[in-house]
Amino acid sequence: MSSLPEPSEDSRDVEPLIPAEMAARIGEVVASRTAVVEVKEFQRWAASVKDRNPLYFDAEVARANGHPDVPMPPMFLQQVALGVADLDQLRPDGTAGTGNGNLSFPLCPRRMAGGENHTFLLSVYGGDVITQERRIDSIVEKSGRSGRFVLVTWKTTYTNQRDELVAESTSSMIARP
Amino acid sequence: MTSTPPQVHFDDVNVGDEIPTLTVTVDPTQMFFFSAATYNGHRIHYDRQWAKEVEGYPDIVVQGPLQAALLARAVTDWIGSAGTLVNYAVQNRASAFPGDELRFRGVVTAVRAEIGADTAGPATGLVDLEITGLKGDGQVLMPGTATVRLPRRG
Repeated sequence: MSSLPEPSEDSRDVEPLIPAEMAARIGEVVASRTAVVEVKEFQRWAASVKDRNPLYFDAEVARANGHPDVPMPPMFLQQVALGVADLDQLRPDGTAGTGNGNLSFPLCPRRMAGGENHTFLLSVYGGDVITQERRIDSIVEKSGRSGRFVLVTWKTTYTNQRDELVAESTSSMIARP
Repeated sequence: MTSTPPQVHFDDVNVGDEIPTLTVTVDPTQMFFFSAATYNGHRIHYDRQWAKEVEGYPDIVVQGPLQAALLARAVTDWIGSAGTLVNYAVQNRASAFPGDELRFRGVVTAVRAEIGADTAGPATGLVDLEITGLKGDGQVLMPGTATVRLPRRG
């Protein structure tokens, strides 16, 4: 039995942070969900940001500015179609992974949000029916000041009950060893 | 909010203008309500022992989406009820902790009148901003950009 060459001293023997079965999922649609916009839900969100913008709470102010009713805060859009977690299936850190594809990077248990980019095209109101479709756009290993990490990027579209595109988003997550 | 601030108009905005800085100190109660409103079970936001001993943070961690929402609020507070947020892009650069003084600010980088785009609607213009969330000591938490649509006078 011939022996393999000794591993060199460079980084080629470092185990990749991205398992092959995760890399194979690039392009996959990981969430396609539809939900009705609830005024109370987006008002609770605005209140938790301490954003008491009268546009979100006072229908008269909204109508005076050309809206039929209080508009949803645009930054709430990514919350509208969140799924329902099975608490017995959570990761040890309490995250559910619902809606982003339950991607698993066993060598990178520490996760944090990377960035987000939203283009808002239309206002949304209570009772609107929003369909969110999220796709894995890329999964890449990078190296930064604090070492190696995995960067996952998703692209998401939001459409309403009239099939109008309401918003488009790109978002990312960083997972570190 | 007891009174609506005066509406800012596209005609009054110039490159280099700074929007009013939003200064916020997040506490664990606000973090709890934000996690509830966003259905976020991540333990680093409420389980101090987990945040410190397992993940190595000095305390529970202010949610990145809360930082983003506060930075967006600095912008939407400024544009008033007749303005709309058109694009919003940020990067998470650093963690913040309860008790940190956080500052959210923006500066105008471009102004673009919209001509003939929608003849039925009111005249509008687009304003581009560079936006930044910072800690009190000046550390950048969240750099980004925003584009807003503002009404024109008259």
